Amino acid sequence: MLQKRRERLLAAAELKEPDRVPMMGFAGDIVAAYAGFTSYEVHYDFDKARQAAVKFLQDFPSEMSLAGLFGVNNFVPALIFSDSPDLAQGLSIVSGPVHDILKDKYSRFPGRELSENSSSQFIGGTYMQPEEYDEFIADPVKFSFEKVLPRTAENLKDICSPKAMATMIRLGMEMSSQGEKTRAMFADLMQLGIPPLPMGFGYAPLDYIADYLRDIPNLIMDLRNYPEKVKAAAEATVEPIFNLAITAKAMGSPFVFFPLHLNEYLSPRLYKEFYWPTLKELIVRLLDEGIKSHVFFEGRHDAHLETILELPKGWGIAYFEKTDVRKAKKVLQGHTCVCGGLRASLVIGGTPEENDRYVKELLEEVMPGGGFILAPDVAALPRETPIENLRAVYEAVERYGYY
Amino acid sequence: MMEELFNAIVDLREEDALKIAREMVKDVGAVKVLDTCKKAMEVVGEKFEGGEYFLSELIWAGDLFKQIMEFTLPALQQGEVKKVGTMVLGTVQGDVHDIGKNIFKVMVEASGIEVFDIGIDLPPEKFVEAVEKHKPDLVGMSCLIASSLNAMKHTVDALKEAGLRDNVKIIIGGGRVSEPVMKYTGADAWADDAARGVRLSNELIGKKG
Ligand code: B12
Repeated sequence: MLQKRRERLLAAAELKEPDRVPMMGFAGDIVAAYAGFTSYEVHYDFDKARQAAVKFLQDFPSEMSLAGLFGVNNFVPALIFSDSPDLAQGLSIVSGPVHDILKDKYSRFPGRELSENSSSQFIGGTYMQPEEYDEFIADPVKFSFEKVLPRTAENLKDICSPKAMATMIRLGMEMSSQGEKTRAMFADLMQLGIPPLPMGFGYAPLDYIADYLRDIPNLIMDLRNYPEKVKAAAEATVEPIFNLAITAKAMGSPFVFFPLHLNEYLSPRLYKEFYWPTLKELIVRLLDEGIKSHVFFEGRHDAHLETILELPKGWGIAYFEKTDVRKAKKVLQGHTCVCGGLRASLVIGGTPEENDRYVKELLEEVMPGGGFILAPDVAALPRETPIENLRAVYEAVERYGYY
Repeated sequence: MMEELFNAIVDLREEDALKIAREMVKDVGAVKVLDTCKKAMEVVGEKFEGGEYFLSELIWAGDLFKQIMEFTLPALQQGEVKKVGTMVLGTVQGDVHDIGKNIFKVMVEASGIEVFDIGIDLPPEKFVEAVEKHKPDLVGMSCLIASSLNAMKHTVDALKEAGLRDNVKIIIGGGRVSEPVMKYTGADAWADDAARGVRLSNELIGKKG
């Protein structure tokens, strides 16, 4: 089963028809709730996270899954250590213990800033002023280390202090224990026949600046007030992000995942001038190294759909949230593997019958010709999600998903 | 001159718009500036709905509108403009997304509705308190995450329990709201884009009458 599931994914990414349509499963708080754990427990206790993932994936198996991954993306530490491939990827997700060790201001965690059954949240903020663009452009890694990290992690405020060193050592110890537990979880999943994709992470250069340094509305104003600096900043960030993303290769991951944020905000003119060139460069360079990108075009990507055709055929997976995958499939057929289609809102608020019919009708339209991966528009389901709806979706995929 | 200001705003020519607006406040009065801005923002909203403008343009237009209001509002005489209505607006419990809410706020204010923005991540009690305090015509709730859809329902329920539900019309907004979500939460209208939200808010005030 393990082999079969892995082949399904790779075949779809190669634009072929596998035996059954591959699926990226649901995840989020429902995984904890299903195993009877609070959100706090799975965020802070890796053994519980592992048990929860196993229980969930046993009953709701899929070809690819983020179930069991509890925490938030923070790309700043990952970028800072982009020259140390053994550390970088592990740092791209902040777990509960890491949040405590760093006292990071980017996120809020259950059982800490939030109630025990909330999910962890990235809240962002503004941590670079416009006057600092030049310093960032000169050396994004140095700036992220010397300025951003101390501003966003209370315990690294004075980066040269004994306290900061102690924090780094604690971080190292935690990473090593997490690494071990993650490997144990992967072993469990393999037993279940679920390919545990050691997913590598990448980031669109302009999103790094928007999400971690300026915040989105400020960045949009910067596009108007300092366009050349913003452009130079994005260009300067390509190299460290590439160094980080390419570590996926050594990890044995065939894909690098890019969650995009600014895409929906930008007019085609701004997208093509400020956002797409640096992202495109990363995708192409990764492909040259044999790594495919799995790009999550969050929000509505309709206005930029055609730009995907500028990439070499078979470059990777285009994952859509609000853009209709039926439409995307028509535009990208034979060029790009399309991913998406499942609606979290229907699983949360619909009936089993509605979910069954929805999956059936969707698959009838998008399966033919292959090159399609079924995935939720929003993977994270809340604790109260009706299990019968979830079951209806997975059963429908088994029923209607074979070629 | 009014047409020049109108065009400058719609075309997002910041410097021109600010310069003309400043002159207009002196020459023809703040009310005319306000009116022109409203009309221009309406057209910006239409262009957004029509797919010609994007969020980037909405954010720029919102910023421009705010800059003009900074020197226009203080120049208004008491009672010179009549409000269309009032709204308590906030992002519901568990959700911190506010970019969309802030864009909507600027647009709906430009349409003549006075907004009491009560913030983000708000438990139902905060909405109840604000409704008691401001006695608005409308309550606007913003929500972008699935796990907070329940919070909207709880907020509507809390307003019912406090006996305030019938005094207000409720409109919900944010990227993940829809017709079924509206029914589930018990709200009166929904909008996942600002221009539609502004139109519906004005319609709801009309209905309330
Ligand atoms: C920017 C963003 C953030 C920023 C928010 C910054 C801020 N100050 O708002 C940050 C980085 C902080 C963030 C954090 C998180 N985010 Co976020 N985020 C986004 C993103 C990329 C864009 C959202 C946005 O601003 N859209 C643009 C605005 C303008 O659109 P809008 O809000 O819909 O508003 C329009 C209309 O709806 C309307 N409107 C808005 N409000 C109202 C109100 C009324 C009354 C009316 C009438 C109209 C109206 O007017 C606006 C203009 O047209 C989306 C993905 C996406 N593209 O949608 C994810 C997204 C919303 N985030 C998501 C998630 C999961 C999170 C996190 C939980 C991630 C995490 N695990 O840490 C945290 C949670 C924080 C929290 N508790 O709320 C998910 C939500 C999934 C779900 N449905 O549950 C999304 C969809 C990403 C995804 N695909 O997974 N996020």
